[in-house]
Formats: sequence, C-alpha cells, structure tokens
Amino acid sequence: MEEKVLSKAQLEMKSSGVKVAMQLQDVAVSFNGRTAVRDATFNVAANRVTSMIGPSGSGKTTLLRALNRLHDLTPGAKVTGKILLEGVDIYGPDLSVTELRTRVGMVFQRPNPFPTMTIYENAVSGLRFNGVKKKSLLDEAAEESLRAAALWESVESRLNVAASNLSGGEQQRLCIARALALKPEVLLMDEPTSALDPIATLRIEELMSTLKQQVTIIIVTHNMQQASRISDDCAFLLMGEDRAGELIEFNTTEKIFNSPIDSRTLDYTLGRFG
Amino acid sequence: MTTDLSGLSLSENLRSEILLIAGRHRRRRIVRSRVFLGLSAVCFALALIPLFALSWIIIQKGFPVLKLSFFTQMPLQPNLMAPNQVGGVSGAIIGSLALVGYASIFAVPIGVLVGIYVAENENKFAALIRLVSQAMAGAPSILMGLFAFSLVCQRLHFGYSAAAGAFALGVLMLPVVVVATEIAVRNVPSTLREAGLALGAQAHKVSLRIVIPTAAPGILTGAVLAMSRAIGEAAPVLFTIGGSSFITWKLNDQVNALPIAIFNDSRSQWPSQRQEVFGIALVLLIFVFAANLISKVFLSRQQNKTS
Repeated sequence: MEEKVLSKAQLEMKSSGVKVAMQLQDVAVSFNGRTAVRDATFNVAANRVTSMIGPSGSGKTTLLRALNRLHDLTPGAKVTGKILLEGVDIYGPDLSVTELRTRVGMVFQRPNPFPTMTIYENAVSGLRFNGVKKKSLLDEAAEESLRAAALWESVESRLNVAASNLSGGEQQRLCIARALALKPEVLLMDEPTSALDPIATLRIEELMSTLKQQVTIIIVTHNMQQASRISDDCAFLLMGEDRAGELIEFNTTEKIFNSPIDSRTLDYTLGRFG
Repeated sequence: MTTDLSGLSLSENLRSEILLIAGRHRRRRIVRSRVFLGLSAVCFALALIPLFALSWIIIQKGFPVLKLSFFTQMPLQPNLMAPNQVGGVSGAIIGSLALVGYASIFAVPIGVLVGIYVAENENKFAALIRLVSQAMAGAPSILMGLFAFSLVCQRLHFGYSAAAGAFALGVLMLPVVVVATEIAVRNVPSTLREAGLALGAQAHKVSLRIVIPTAAPGILTGAVLAMSRAIGEAAPVLFTIGGSSFITWKLNDQVNALPIAIFNDSRSQWPSQRQEVFGIALVLLIFVFAANLISKVFLSRQQNKTS
C-alpha cells in the first residue's frame, strides 16, 4: 500500500518535471537501539515547501534533524537508510558535515540568535564561521539576507545593537536571515512559529512563500492549518504500535488534505485524533 | 413527587454536612498556615541577627579607626609614652592585594580552561577532574597552606614569601574557578550550540565564539568570588608569607596580609591595637562586599543574555 502511494507521488513529481532537492530512502533514526522513526522514503522537490505533519512522538523533528546530521552530536544516535542531497549521500565520504550544514540550513523551534552578538554579527555569523572575512562581502550578505528575511527595513538603522533587543518574531526572522546568508539549497524549519504570536506567525508564513523561489523548504509543524496553507507537498507521520514513528503517506498537500489514500491520514487531517 | 422531594432534602442534608466538614478543615488549614508562617518569620529573624550584628559591630567599632594614616602607614608598636600609636596597615592591604593578584594570575586562567574542558567533554578523565575539583573546593584551607609551605617554602627554597602565599591561595581558588566555570558553560543553552553547528561551524569554533562568550559573565563571577574568598583566608598564608615591616609586593619578599594582621593585633596587650582589629576587619568586609556586588552585576548580565 505504502509502496504504491510513494511511487505514485514520485511518478507525478517526475512527470511534472520537478527538480528533486533531497531524496530520503528508507531512512530510520534510532537512539541506543530504540527506533524513533523509520520507513521514511520520499523526495523533496526543489523550490517547494514540504511539510512534515503528525501527532507528538511521530518522529517529525527527529527525521528533520537527520537531514543536516544534527544527530551526530547525540551519543547512541544512529541514522540508517540513505539521504541524498542532489544525489550525494550526506552521510557518505563525498560530503563533509560542515559543508552539508552550509548547504542545508536550519531554523529552530525557539528563536535562538547568539546573545553576545549584534544583529549584524548574527546575520553574518555563519559566513564568519566558515572563514569569510572580507568586510564588503559580509556587508552585502548581511543586507541581502536580512532583506530576504523581511527584516532589513526595521533593523537597518540599528544593526549594531544586541540581537536580544528584537521581538520574538524579529528574532526568528533574524535566525532565518542567519541561515539564508550562507545561500543554502535547503532550509529546514523545526516548528518555527510555535513560540510566536499569530501576527508574527503570519509574517513568517508569508515569508516562506516568497523564500521558496530561492530555497527549498522542509518544515515540521504540528499545526495542520499551517501545513495546508503553506506547503506544496506533505509527509504524514504517525507513531506505530512499537512507539516508533513511521511515514504513513507522502503526497502533494492538496491530496493529503482532500483525498488521502490511507484512512489514518484522513482521520488525522479531519481532527479525529492527535 | 413526594419521593423526589425527600430525595432532595436528603441531598440537602448531605450538602450541609459536607460544607460543615470542609469549613472546619479550611479553618484548621488557615491556623496551621499561620503557625508555619510565624515559625519561618521567627527563624528568618534569628538568621538575620548574627548577620546584622556582625556587620554592625565591625562598622561601629571599625569606622572610627579608618583614618588616612591607617591606609598609608606601617604598623607602629604602642609604648607607655604613646599607648595609642598604632600606625596603619598599608603593608597588609598591599600584601593582601598582591597575594590575591598573583594567585589569580595563575589560578584563574588554568581554572577557566580546566572548567571549559570539564564542561565540554564527557569522558572519564573529565569526570575525574570534576570529582577532584569538587572535593578540593571543600577541602580545609589549612591544607593548602601546608602544601605550599612544604613545596614552595621548603622544597623550592623560597622560604616565607609572597610566592608561597600566592601559591597557597591559588591552589585554594583553583577548584572554585573550575567548578564555577563548568556551571557557567553548562548553563549556555544547547540550542545556541546547535545553532552554531547548523551553520556549519566546527565544534571548537562553537566553543570559542558562542559558548564561552555567552558564559563569560558567569565565568567572571566565579573568578571574583574565588578572589573574595582568597583575600579573607588566614590559614593558607599563616605559615607561608612570614610578615614584613616594609610595604612590599615582590614575589620572593616576605609580605603581610589582612587576616594575619587581624590575628596578630587581636592578641596585643594594648587596647589601641586591639581596637585597630575592627578597622582591618571593616576593610576586609568592604573588599568582600564589593567583590560580591561586582559578581552580581556580571551574573545578571549572563541571565539577561540567556533568558
């Protein structure tokens, strides 16, 4: 059943001529031998927003963090299966973890600008970590990324104040700018609006729809309305009987919400559980 | 109808009984709450008495002693012709500051680096250092003096000297700095570390450019508190610095220190010298109080940053 769903979705992706940014093949993540999420197989289409939805414990965030190898830090964490970025295995020898992370950026659940740095320093921090020192280049990248994150107008005159002076929504947009400054191909967003008020949330959602022209977005959200509003493709995950999350269905967001193949997807999107 | 009504009256009885019990229970709870509130107020007052009494006596008796000569002169020996000539404690003030300064020069950098290592590494060696640091932070300070005496004074042939006293105080400060640094570094939210790594930064860059700057106020707090503890310690310097009748801060000279001056003067047969003790104590108290105040400022800065 699942096989069919996936191959159909992928077939459509191919036939519509969409470029694939990332491929997940039978990806599973385990911690000390306990599987947290498994069976994740889907293609992330370039310049689209792919959302990962599902109830708590279904492994959305765990799966997302496998895509830029953040699990490398956790002792006992193991990622199996294949994750390809433009066809290259991200856990293989052809791609270093630091290069991967400059190409696959991340925005976290809570805004986490570096508290000892100014707005400007935050925006260019990724470039500086990676050895860019030229002032003109940093200035240009700062303005460009802050503009892309729709923050430039409000911070232009106070680039040298501490990032902690910004509001929560502005801080989160600064974190988006910080990730964008490295010109990533993919941007991972882990419930980026869960700590924000509705207006700040709306601004981030608007931002995403313009951003996808330059960067592929993968977003984890527990908010189904958000997923249906902003995403083009959607992966639905659910916790199995052994408490491990698994991919139930992957398709275009329109199909997931209007004509899902799996009855559990329908139950979830209709709000019957979760 | 009638059965319904009797049922209603029965539940009405039940209700009033419940209300009665609940009311009695509530009154008992209020009484108990007041008793405990009273008890803790009394204990609070009891705890404050020694605190304020100590400060009050030292300020009241010490303040009149603080004249300019107290800070500029060396001690003088009172005699029958001049029973009130006590001179000053300039040598002890300079000596104490020098001792803590030298001690900090070696204890703070080493302690900070060790603390960072312990916080950033999860291996057995780090665990061992953590254990030793925590045990050493609580070790009796006279042991540090004994250690410095046998190593620096005797084995290294420095004799009584500022070097030996500073070494003893440094050994005393070291574990305090290590433990405080470790706590400050661990308090840096892991989300900041992840943010750095997610930008493609190598682990050492994350430590140097994100974690340590964020922890810096907490690290400084630990250093200042260690210094304020060291300046008031008598035991480590008791048999390592010797004592001097000159103002000096040279490493291989014998020097004076404030706690030792208190100890010596308090045993004097001259009331004027015994009176002077409170002046010295007040100076020490001011040093320690200032250090704590400074550390509070640093700490509130870190809290602002990480919250």
